[in-house]
Amino acid sequence: MRSPASVSRSRTSRKRFAVTAVACALVAGVTAGCGSSGGSSSSSSSGTIHILVYGDTGNTVEKQIVDTFNKTSKVKAVLDTIPGANYQTKLQTIINTAQAPDVFFNWGGGSIAPFVKSGLLMPLDSFIAADPQLKSDFLPSVFNTAVIDGKSYGVPMRGTQPVLLFDNKKVLADAGITPPATWDQLLADVQTLKAKGKTPIALGGGDQWPTLMWFEYLYDRVAGPGLFEKALGGDTSAWASADSQKALGMLKQLVDAGAFGTNYDSVKFTDGGSPALLAKGKAAFELMGSWEYATQKSANPDFTKNDLGYSNFPTIAGGAGNAADVVGNTNNFYSVLKNTKHPDAVAQFLKLMYSDEFVKAQLGIGNLPTTTNTPQFLSTAADPAYDTYQYNLVKQAPSFQLSWDQAYPPSATTAMHQAVQQFVDGKLDAAGFIKAMQGLPTS
Amino acid sequence: MRQRPNYLAGFGSLIWLFLVGLPLYVMLTATLRTQSDYSTSGPLSFPAHLTLQNYLDDFSNGFGRDFLNTIVVTVSVVAIVLLVVPPLAYAIIRSRHRTMSTVFRIFLLGLAIPAQAVIVPMFYVISKAGLYDNLVGIILPTAAFCLPICTLILTGAMRDITSELYEAMAVDGASPARVFRQLVVPLSKGGLSTIVVFSALQAWNGFLFPLVLTQSDSTKVITLGLYNFQTEHGVDVPGLLSAVMLSMLPILVVYLFARRALVRGLMGVGGK
Amino acid sequence: MTSIIQQLLAKSARREPPTTGSRGDPGGRSPGYRSTAGSAAGADRRRAVRSGVGATRPGLAWAVPATVFFTLFAIVPLVLVAVLSFTSWNGIGTPKLIGLSNWSALWHDPVMLKSLWLSALLTTLGVVVQTPISILLGVWAAGHQRNRAVLAAVYFVPLLLSVTAVSVLWRALLDPNFGIPSDAGWLFGDGNLLGTQSGSIGVLAFVGAWQWTPLHTLIYQGGARAVPQVLYDAAAIDGAGTVRQFFHITLPQLRNTVITSMVLMVVGGLTTFDTVLILTQGGPGTDTTISAYYMYQQGFLSFDFGGASAIALVLVVVATLLSLLMVRLTGYDRMQSTAEGL
Repeated sequence: MRSPASVSRSRTSRKRFAVTAVACALVAGVTAGCGSSGGSSSSSSSGTIHILVYGDTGNTVEKQIVDTFNKTSKVKAVLDTIPGANYQTKLQTIINTAQAPDVFFNWGGGSIAPFVKSGLLMPLDSFIAADPQLKSDFLPSVFNTAVIDGKSYGVPMRGTQPVLLFDNKKVLADAGITPPATWDQLLADVQTLKAKGKTPIALGGGDQWPTLMWFEYLYDRVAGPGLFEKALGGDTSAWASADSQKALGMLKQLVDAGAFGTNYDSVKFTDGGSPALLAKGKAAFELMGSWEYATQKSANPDFTKNDLGYSNFPTIAGGAGNAADVVGNTNNFYSVLKNTKHPDAVAQFLKLMYSDEFVKAQLGIGNLPTTTNTPQFLSTAADPAYDTYQYNLVKQAPSFQLSWDQAYPPSATTAMHQAVQQFVDGKLDAAGFIKAMQGLPTS
Repeated sequence: MRQRPNYLAGFGSLIWLFLVGLPLYVMLTATLRTQSDYSTSGPLSFPAHLTLQNYLDDFSNGFGRDFLNTIVVTVSVVAIVLLVVPPLAYAIIRSRHRTMSTVFRIFLLGLAIPAQAVIVPMFYVISKAGLYDNLVGIILPTAAFCLPICTLILTGAMRDITSELYEAMAVDGASPARVFRQLVVPLSKGGLSTIVVFSALQAWNGFLFPLVLTQSDSTKVITLGLYNFQTEHGVDVPGLLSAVMLSMLPILVVYLFARRALVRGLMGVGGK
Repeated sequence: MTSIIQQLLAKSARREPPTTGSRGDPGGRSPGYRSTAGSAAGADRRRAVRSGVGATRPGLAWAVPATVFFTLFAIVPLVLVAVLSFTSWNGIGTPKLIGLSNWSALWHDPVMLKSLWLSALLTTLGVVVQTPISILLGVWAAGHQRNRAVLAAVYFVPLLLSVTAVSVLWRALLDPNFGIPSDAGWLFGDGNLLGTQSGSIGVLAFVGAWQWTPLHTLIYQGGARAVPQVLYDAAAIDGAGTVRQFFHITLPQLRNTVITSMVLMVVGGLTTFDTVLILTQGGPGTDTTISAYYMYQQGFLSFDFGGASAIALVLVVVATLLSLLMVRLTGYDRMQSTAEGL
């Protein structure tokens, strides 16, 4: 526990240094030796491409698409998954090593910006030139999320995930209210629900990102999408603007009114806590990504069928934002590493992302692809009404704001989440929150 | 003192029994009920219907594979420790070579290195060696971080072998290898069993190295499986807790059949 | 009783090379000591043995496998950590040397200071909560009555669970809406245990105690059983009651055990990681971001591996300093010499 005796420090430390140096040389030799053999055994040379995706229940479709691809391709695709919580961490640690995949799942925007900057990703423009459908078959507002510096780096996969205000129809009916169309109505509903002994809004504050969704919508409704774009572009004075202060004030008002109850920071979405509050009728609303539907359907099928309601975020009187704007994850994307040994096979694989088979399979598990051929299959979806509602919402939205934590580079995520949580907890005031946001790295 | 009942201590021990027993009761009953029963009736109630479905589900979710991986890791770590530590401890005790004290100090220094502190370069080294996402990549660092404490435990045990015994063997002209085989190993059995218990527990419970150094299902160990289970299907508390229960089972079996050895081994971690 | 940790502390405190000076190993003592000891005949015999001793002593080769192995996977990474702490590296490109920037940033980082504070607080709480409980339980369980043996077996169960399993278990049990707090509102209120700083620190301390008290109980049980029965018999003749015996015989006799157990608690407390990752993720805000977790967060969540390495090095230095401090404060070297005089 104690470092070498001080009496003979110089001698022993010199000796220890020598030992270490030898060991360093050894490790260098070992790693060099292993490195060359490891490199050849892994990934591409044996005629495979590795597809790395976020591991969750949606993997069934990715598996199906890979099987379809392998039926006709000589280069075989291998599907690798990393469980959700670790995905971004693992991706960034392996992306510049021999273990890097050929194609990987991401959220576009800031989630791939550092990789583009390091020159690791392949611009897909040549693929698109060869097959224009790789671009033209997707909704432009979605496709553009993965365009960086004028070049396309991602092809949409899975579906779009707008954030919606979900509700428990039965709880609303018992309280004699309907989904709020305006902010003031929401504040009034909070009082009504509290009087009924319900938690008005379920919030998985323990995960932090569900809390962020409230910021995203309030800023959009109050200031329009420009404020955030300005801040992300590097003009951090946007955070201190009057609109920013106003949005923070309104959120504070909602929290202080007891809209989220008192124990929201001990509740998580990821462990099923907040969805259960909604499903069991302990809470009336939950602001969540469209995946809430699939989550509820697997955990509480009866509730989903009979009582799960959804609506767009309420409008705010006097706000600059369009009431039809949405925020959320515009889509997930497949991006391609520059180092891939089989670009042609990758191009063939990406074509499947707008195939009829892909769209039908995604709709079947509750995802909503944003391809131009999606509408013709909406009737085959698990819940056609829900998917049609979402599709039209996204298609008609003047702005689809990518979630802040995906728009910023991953290095900003932790600090952003902490600031969000601390503001809602009252540990940071508006000035403190603004200062924290101004301190985030934007590139 | 040992004959009179000690009511105060007895009362305190009952409180602790409650604190230990209640969570165990909740865990056991939760694993035997359905998810909806758990969330509607509350964790403290007794299940309306008993079911083993949660355990079956765990196995269909790949618990068996995680289990095998963990066994492989544990056995390998123990094997490495048993292979390198006894000769090292023997050399530390008996060698007169001047470098020995430096060697021993390297291991002393190792006691102050928390595994977390080196996880960043460890990832670098393992990935450069082509061992990322490979069980070997977990086994090697886990074993390495068992070495300092195991060396200390074993040197402690070997110091109790009296010099007369060594001298007796020396008179017979025994080689170091023979002394090691016929004297040192048989007489440090207590220490050896302690390091087996210690390194096996370290490997069985290891979390950080698997978290950072593996990613695939095929290399997943139990602890990582529990962590992933929580982030993927946290809503399924009965399923999660039955996985926790299953993760405890092998050690429980060892505990039931070799309680004395295990307890003595653990006591040995602190002293003997 | 000899404990490994104490031997270790004593060794380093007395600045002696490890091959010398332990009881029952005169072979390690200086040749001068040997030749003056014993009768002339004895000295002759010993000299004869000594001449053959060279052959029976293991050479350096015996230590090589373990040393190389350990160097590769512990010392080399440690050296690399030190190097990385002077670089900027996001895990994608190659590390870039940036001098002392990480260190000056760390020096001015309020979260770093807070994290050290929190580490110290959690470690102290661990010691303060677990020590009295485990001494009492350990001494009590040292008795050979049947009921005690049965209860001790139950106490042992948390030790069969991994830290990950324990954390996952408590995360589920403490859920405010569907865990124990929902059934026991009179005790937990709204169940917002993980949403406040005091609540989440309390949970971490409690879960730590729940898991580790059994180990320390075992250690104290072993220690208490080693206390010579004659001491109690003598005290009983003097008419000392249970309480007096506990304070005047058991506790003083357990002094070495206390040190061993505390060293384990302090090292364990400083390196707590799994529990924080699973139960609180350092939250709410940064309220439970202890240093070990802060390092993980900076490295693997914010991809600042240079800054993370600097934190890691601080952790190593703090752990080393603390162990030195413990040697001094407990005056272990002094105690060891009185023990040897017995």
